[in-house]
Amino acid sequence: MKMVVFINLIIYKLKKIKQMKKIFYVVIAAVFLTSCVAVKEYEKVNINDPDMVLSSRKSNKFETAFQAYRESAAGANGGKTGGGCGCN
Amino acid sequence: MKKILIIPFLFLTTLLVAQSQSQDSTKTYKKRVLDKIEVDFLSSFYSQDGNNAAVTGGIGTEELTDLATDIVVSIPLNDDDVLTINAEVSAYTSASSSNLDPFDVSGASFGSPWIESTGDSQKDTWFNGNVSYSHSSDDRNKIWSANLNFANEYDYTSIGFGGSHTWLFNEKNTEIGVSGNVYLDTWSPRYPTELDSYLEADQDLNSGFFSGVDILDENGDIIDKDGTTVWSPLNTTLIDDKSRNTYSFSLSFSQILNKNAQVSFFLDIIQQDGWLASPLQRVYFGDRANYYIGNPESISNYTTSNNRDVFQLADDIERLPDSRFKTPLGMRFNYYINETFVARTYYRFYTDDWGITSHTAKIEIPIKISDKFTLYPSYRYYTQTAADYFAPFEENVSTQEFYTSDYDLSDFDANQYGFGIKYTDIFTKLHIWKLNLKSAELKYTHYDRSTGLASDIISLGFNYIFE
Repeated sequence: MKMVVFINLIIYKLKKIKQMKKIFYVVIAAVFLTSCVAVKEYEKVNINDPDMVLSSRKSNKFETAFQAYRESAAGANGGKTGGGCGCN
Repeated sequence: MKKILIIPFLFLTTLLVAQSQSQDSTKTYKKRVLDKIEVDFLSSFYSQDGNNAAVTGGIGTEELTDLATDIVVSIPLNDDDVLTINAEVSAYTSASSSNLDPFDVSGASFGSPWIESTGDSQKDTWFNGNVSYSHSSDDRNKIWSANLNFANEYDYTSIGFGGSHTWLFNEKNTEIGVSGNVYLDTWSPRYPTELDSYLEADQDLNSGFFSGVDILDENGDIIDKDGTTVWSPLNTTLIDDKSRNTYSFSLSFSQILNKNAQVSFFLDIIQQDGWLASPLQRVYFGDRANYYIGNPESISNYTTSNNRDVFQLADDIERLPDSRFKTPLGMRFNYYINETFVARTYYRFYTDDWGITSHTAKIEIPIKISDKFTLYPSYRYYTQTAADYFAPFEENVSTQEFYTSDYDLSDFDANQYGFGIKYTDIFTKLHIWKLNLKSAELKYTHYDRSTGLASDIISLGFNYIFE
């Protein structure tokens, strides 16, 4: 029951965030269009470079943590989202 | 509502395509997910200063130092499964949180928002432990993981758990991930001394902490504690709900665009409920009389750093709604320029129902100067609007339902400059005992906020292979 209320709450609040939705649709559409082209495994030398990884680098962990304390925004970066600490 | 349904529809369609494609893939070779045990050591020293401490109502020193160490051990259990154990300890010393109890400065009767106190709240240690387990399918096109988390500090305890599932398809050019996490946190609240003591003494200014202590009015005159015009906090109840729970759901999408470029998108949906304000943080109202303890001659300089010996009694602790809904949307785009340069970019849009909207943009350009050394210059810009409940020192009014003077919730922008250097040895020739050094990195970052807060962080990390 609580889960249903939570999901309804999410849907209700997402409806209110019109700007976010527009951005999201554009992004999804753009990515789906480009995903038709597949790069073969043997062509991924540059993509597999360690600096090309699509996540925050390990050395940024503490930096991301202090940003979660000193700034209101958090999340969508692999760092804290507000739980586990008395941060914002 | 129709638009809302589009997202799960696209998502499910993509998953069905992924399932059909993964069934077609051949199982010619199965590489271990992780060959050997890896150990990461990461340490950092953080230092900050500013003039808007939330513990003292939006004015006062924000001086803080923090020393943190993190150890991560990744253990391959077999070809497909990896167990990761993470332990982190962070020890801080803070001038602002020391002023939870500013009345115990050695050699002086009373403190001020501008000097560090020596109370128990001056320093603390935060401990965090995390265990996660991940399993990859034989074709490496599906990965699921589960994690458990525990964190503790002197006024806060957290238990967390979560899980994730990732699908790779389109010849591993496309990746979709979903994850969920729950944090069940509990405050062991500590309050500003004058508020706590006032309630402990049954609201009697002639007993307990206030016994024998003179309270001054705005003119520096000693008040009659038995009179009708005396100091009293706005509320006589402090925290009535010690829980602080966070529920997050995340959706990620990654796509290889061509041989040199890839992009990813992250959407988090975060719901928090419980006591979301900090019980440590004072608020002073503009529509209530001010009362002080300390040197009456310093009252006129109260908001300047010249004030070393008078402290204003709080009107209340900050009060914030017991619910918060956050929606960050992030994007990474990485481009391999050539053998020397890579461009790593990140952008995030964030909004929540407390009235905060923010934008974050970051660029990092790794520069390979040799086979073993890479430089990491970076720049990050951040901007946010203020929470609906924020006002500076003495600018909130007591008729508001919610109020805070925490400048982390104010309107500001920030610039961050970083520079790092990384040593990489793929042959792991250097070793200590059975730990063979794979890479080492040193990084320095400077952060400037438009509120006047400035900070520096130095991080040092080592990645070892255990033989």
